[in-house]
Order: sequence, then structure tokens, then C-alpha cells
Amino acid sequence: MSEKYKFDTMSLHSGHVPDKETGSRAVPIYQTTSYVFKDTDEAAALYNMEVGGHLYTRISNPTIATLEQRLASLDGGVSCVACSSGMAAMHLVVTAICSSGDHIVASNKMYGANINLLQHTMTRFGIETTFVNPNNLEEIEKAIMPNTKLVFGEVIGNPGLDVMNVPEVAKICKKKNVPLAIDATFNTPYLMKPITYGANVVIHSLTKWIGGHGIAIGGAIINGGNFDWGNKEKFPTISGSHFALNGISFWEEFGPSALTAKIRAEGMYNFGPSLSPNNAFYILQGIETLSLRMKKHIENTKMMLEFLKENEAVSWLRHPDLQDHPDHKIAKKILPLGSGSIIVFGIKGGRDAGKAFIENVKLSSHLANVGDAKTLLIHPGSTTHSHLSSEAMKMSGLTDDLIRLSVGLEDIEDIKIDFEKGFKAAAKISSKRS
Amino acid sequence: MYKDFKGNKVYFSTGGINLVNDRETLCFVHGAGQNHYSFTQQIRYFVSQGYNVVAPDFPGHGFSEGNQTTSIEEDMLWLAELLASLKIEKATFIGHSQGCLTILELAEKKPELVRGLVFVAGAMSIPVNDFLIDTSIDNPEKAYDLMVTWGQDSYGSFSISDWPGHNHLAEGNAIMKLNDSSVLTTDLKSCNLYENGKQAASKIKINCLAVLAKFDMMTPLKKGLQMVENIKQCDYKILECGHFLPIEKPKELNALIKNYLNTLK
Repeated sequence: MSEKYKFDTMSLHSGHVPDKETGSRAVPIYQTTSYVFKDTDEAAALYNMEVGGHLYTRISNPTIATLEQRLASLDGGVSCVACSSGMAAMHLVVTAICSSGDHIVASNKMYGANINLLQHTMTRFGIETTFVNPNNLEEIEKAIMPNTKLVFGEVIGNPGLDVMNVPEVAKICKKKNVPLAIDATFNTPYLMKPITYGANVVIHSLTKWIGGHGIAIGGAIINGGNFDWGNKEKFPTISGSHFALNGISFWEEFGPSALTAKIRAEGMYNFGPSLSPNNAFYILQGIETLSLRMKKHIENTKMMLEFLKENEAVSWLRHPDLQDHPDHKIAKKILPLGSGSIIVFGIKGGRDAGKAFIENVKLSSHLANVGDAKTLLIHPGSTTHSHLSSEAMKMSGLTDDLIRLSVGLEDIEDIKIDFEKGFKAAAKISSKRS
Repeated sequence: MYKDFKGNKVYFSTGGINLVNDRETLCFVHGAGQNHYSFTQQIRYFVSQGYNVVAPDFPGHGFSEGNQTTSIEEDMLWLAELLASLKIEKATFIGHSQGCLTILELAEKKPELVRGLVFVAGAMSIPVNDFLIDTSIDNPEKAYDLMVTWGQDSYGSFSISDWPGHNHLAEGNAIMKLNDSSVLTTDLKSCNLYENGKQAASKIKINCLAVLAKFDMMTPLKKGLQMVENIKQCDYKILECGHFLPIEKPKELNALIKNYLNTLK
């Protein structure tokens, strides 16, 4: 009999038991490109995806498979494919489901690279996207057309921190028979599991909180196994005939795990965005302490919110746990443990004051990442979103004075002191102006 | 593959290829609340080994429409008629769990159809406790959860799988959710009602294979061994896994079936 273990236990154990040959308690790093076949029969069976196993690390690898099985169990999915980055994960999902002439409905409040991929890259390949307000349910429903193959959004938008009403959007998608893919990077399965709210596919950038230490880039696709891909006209890439493997239909042969079978057989095979086994190992180490870290991230975030709320240098403050956040009610419902550890705020004095602040903090690192154990800061207007037009920036809820703070695990009193130094420098700029 | 059969659209997996006239046929018969996905790692493997494979979804299961059969005897007749409609005169039957009862019944009542028999995690009778039946009526999803949890060895707890990235506990649930929600109750009641297993087993005259699971909590090993004893010529192997042997130990099961099929040639 198997046990149904709880989150903390699964974070440590899913996907791995001590190695039978060596007794290794830790997950071994299988640093190999390929695997010796026992015989020709086994080789053929692996190539044809008749049975499970590994043949080449571009497609799968035992260390990466442990990570995938751990992620699938934590998010309540039936299967998972890990890949080289969160963006690779998104690209794999889009190309597994959509072809030229297809249409996507996506949140207009997403991470800039997600928007770029859909707005500029995919359009070159004939896949169009309608961008919608992620919480305007009517707008989402209206945007779904007969050729819409995917609805896409983020639980917590980056960097605007809008919270998508995943359960309601999932209901619309179910009614319209369109899969809902959700980027859950900012919440991790510790704070919220989109599949339990009706989403069909979950995407993570493992680089962020899941890995948690800013040392390895990685991504993952978790398949809920809860979508009916059986309509061959609508989803020919999943339920129609595959170009290889004797022309099988992934839906008929693999059922609930059809999407990840397709991604592995085509996306990993033909595009090759594989994760390195070493990075899989680093990310697994991160997952072992995911719940401990997320608790502390949330605790520190609460204290930083209190600190920033009272600070005169701050002109505005945004976080879904604050009562004045437009999505506070949704956040309370679907993110009861906390809405993540990203805070955005405006600094008095605008762009120049923001620059002065960032250049005068020392403990907090100015860099283009979030979800590290260390506190991170960035000014999106001059970095992550600098390539977007002003109009596109406004659509994403950005302003010149916006600072994005990724609250780390330090003693928060030290971060407050660090911020005071930055605020002092910003105030000088601000007072010169006035 | 879909077929109009007895006024309904029914589905049987052939591993994605058309049946070939001169090939031997293997017929995989799923268990209670399951469908052809129970045999994902067997179907295409044996197609590649040169067999015709027919793995039907019984009515109301998986992609098959139609009123559910309500007894093992009805299951057997439905299966025999389906094979006749496909012009399959003889096959080797591989049953899992409830599917073992169906092929036991078939072996007794339609011996002319049977070339070989493989019993996977099977027994001559599969009594089901009232709690599971009641749960399947009141809360089918909870019953799926119970079955999947009871049905897998401790490896299931850790999402350990030969199939990279697969989480069998969740996948087992998802497979059962593809069926009509009343299917499980009907299947469990069919198992409970069936009493002819011992007699059917005693009448089998061909060589058979039983592949049993050491940690089987659905059809305990003891009951599987009793079945083996009642069949005149039944080789058996015990694998270290739970009831959902075809997904827990697919390679080992495939090798055992392959060896058995070679003995039939």
C-alpha cells in the first residue's frame, strides 16, 4: 500500500528512495548523455515510447526524472517535464498545442518575456494572441474564439502583482473546452496549486523560489491530466496522428499524460531545451527546504510591508495581501498562506530617486532575478521591461518610479537598515527637485 | 480505434495501428473502474513484438459508450461478441484484476476462443468490502483515491516510476476519472456477485501464466495462489509490487508475458 504523504515529506522524498546498488541517500547526479541498452528489444521499446526508461539525456535523465516526479507530486499533476528555463517551458507548451493559424488568449499583465514570446515571436509563426485583463472574466470569455487553443496567465503577475482569479477563469476554459495554462512561479506549490483550482497545465521557472538560491536556471511543465484532448479537429497535435512512432495519437495511447508525452517526443526531441543533471540536483536541494523558505519569505514580506507602509519615502505600495490591492479578495481566497514575497512600491522623486535608492543599498542586491534566498531589487523601467514601449509598460501596470523587491531570508531588521540608507539617498534627490 | 458495436460507439486500443490478418491476437482485459490505459506500457510493446493487440474499453469505461455490463458473465459475452465482430477467432487473453474473472469465465464458456491465458494480479473471486462500494456511490473520486492508494506498493507513495516524470498516484486517479462516474460501483458489484471462478479455473485445460503481486491489497497474493492451485497447468511468478502491476513493474511483466507467449508457439 502506498501512503499519501504531506507536502513537507514529499518535498524531501518524492521521486527517490535510497539507491539499491550504492545505498546513496541523496539523489545521485547522473552526469551522462546516454544509457547502454540491455538488448535491441529494449532499445526499440524506448525509442518507440512503448515503455518507460532513458535513452538520451536530451529526452530524459534519472536525476531530472526525480526532479520531475517530485514537482508532479507537489503540484498534484500526473506528469512533468523539466527543461532548461521557465521560458523554455512556456515555449514547449505553446508549440505542443498550437500551430500556425491558432490563437491564444493571454493575460496582458504578464512577465515581459512571456508577452514578447506571444506578441512578437509566435506571431511570426502564425500563432496570434489576444491580450486580456486577467481579471476581467467577460473579456476573457469574449476573447476565446473557435481557433483558440490555449488560455494563459500567471497566478501572480510579474511585476504588477495582479492575482488571476484562477478558479473562475478555469470554469470559463472548461465551458469553452480550451486548456488553461498557468505560470505559478511566484506562488510555488507551497502557496497554491493551480491544478486543484481547475487549471490544466502549470509552468514554473525553477530558477526562482523552487530552486531558491539563485544558482541554477530551470523550468518545468506540470500536466494536470484533467483536460480532454479528444477533439482531433481542435487539438490535432495531441489527438491526431504523430509524425513518428507509427503515427500514434498521444491522447489515445497516453491519455491523461498525453501532453507531456507530446512535449517529450517532439519538444525535447526536436528543440532540445534540456536541463542539465547538475542543475536538476541543485534545484532538488532547493525543493527540500521549499516550505521552510516560503514560510520565512512570507513572514519577512509581512514585516517589510509594515515597514514600507510607514515610510515617508514611499509614495505607494502594492502587494496582494494589502487590503487596498484590487485583487485582495481573490488573493485571500486562493493564496491563504500569503501572496508571495514580491513587493512593488513607488519611491518619492520618481526615476532618479529610484536609481539613487538602488545604488545606495548594500545588502539588497540589484539584479534581474526574483525568488533568491537573498533580498533582491530592480527598477523594471530601466531593466527587465526597458524593451517594452511606454504603452506596453502601462498595460503591464508599470511606472517609472516602480521598485520591485524580492524579499529574502535575511534578518529583516538588517534589510530595513539597508533600505533606510537607500531612502536617505533618494530623499536627497527628491528634495533637490522640490 | 472506434467501432459501432451493438448500437454504441466503442473503443479498443490497437496500439495505433490497424489489425493485421495473419497475426496472433493478444486481448488485454482491464479491471474494475479502469480502461485501456491500464495497459499503456504493454499495448504498443506487444504490437512491436508482432502481435495484434485489442485492449477494449468496456461500455461506460474510457472512450466506450453504452450501458454498463452488470456481471462478469455479461462482461464475458460482450467481449466475445466484440471479438467476433472483429473477426478474431482465437486470442491470448491477459486480464488484470476484475479482467481475470472475465477471462476465467471466457475460458470456461468459450474455450474455442482461447489460445492462452495470463492472469495479472488476479484471483478466482474478488469480494469487495461494503465501505469501498458505498464510497464509490457517495463519493466516486474518494473511492478512486482509495483504490489507487491501496493498489500501489510504497513506491507509489514516492512517485517512483520507470516512466520519466510520471506520478502514478495522480495518473491512476485521472485514468479512473475518464470513466462514467457510476462505472466503479457497477464493476465492484460485478466482482462481488461472481461465484463461478473456482469451477471455471478447474476446467482450464491449457497452460496458463499468473503474475501476482507480493504486496497486493486488492486481490491478496494468497487468493492468487489459490487460483494457481486450482488450474491444472498454471505457471506463476510473484513480483515485488502492488496491485497495479502493469504500471508498477511493466518491464518485468512484459518479459514474463513474452516468455509465456513463446511457449504457445
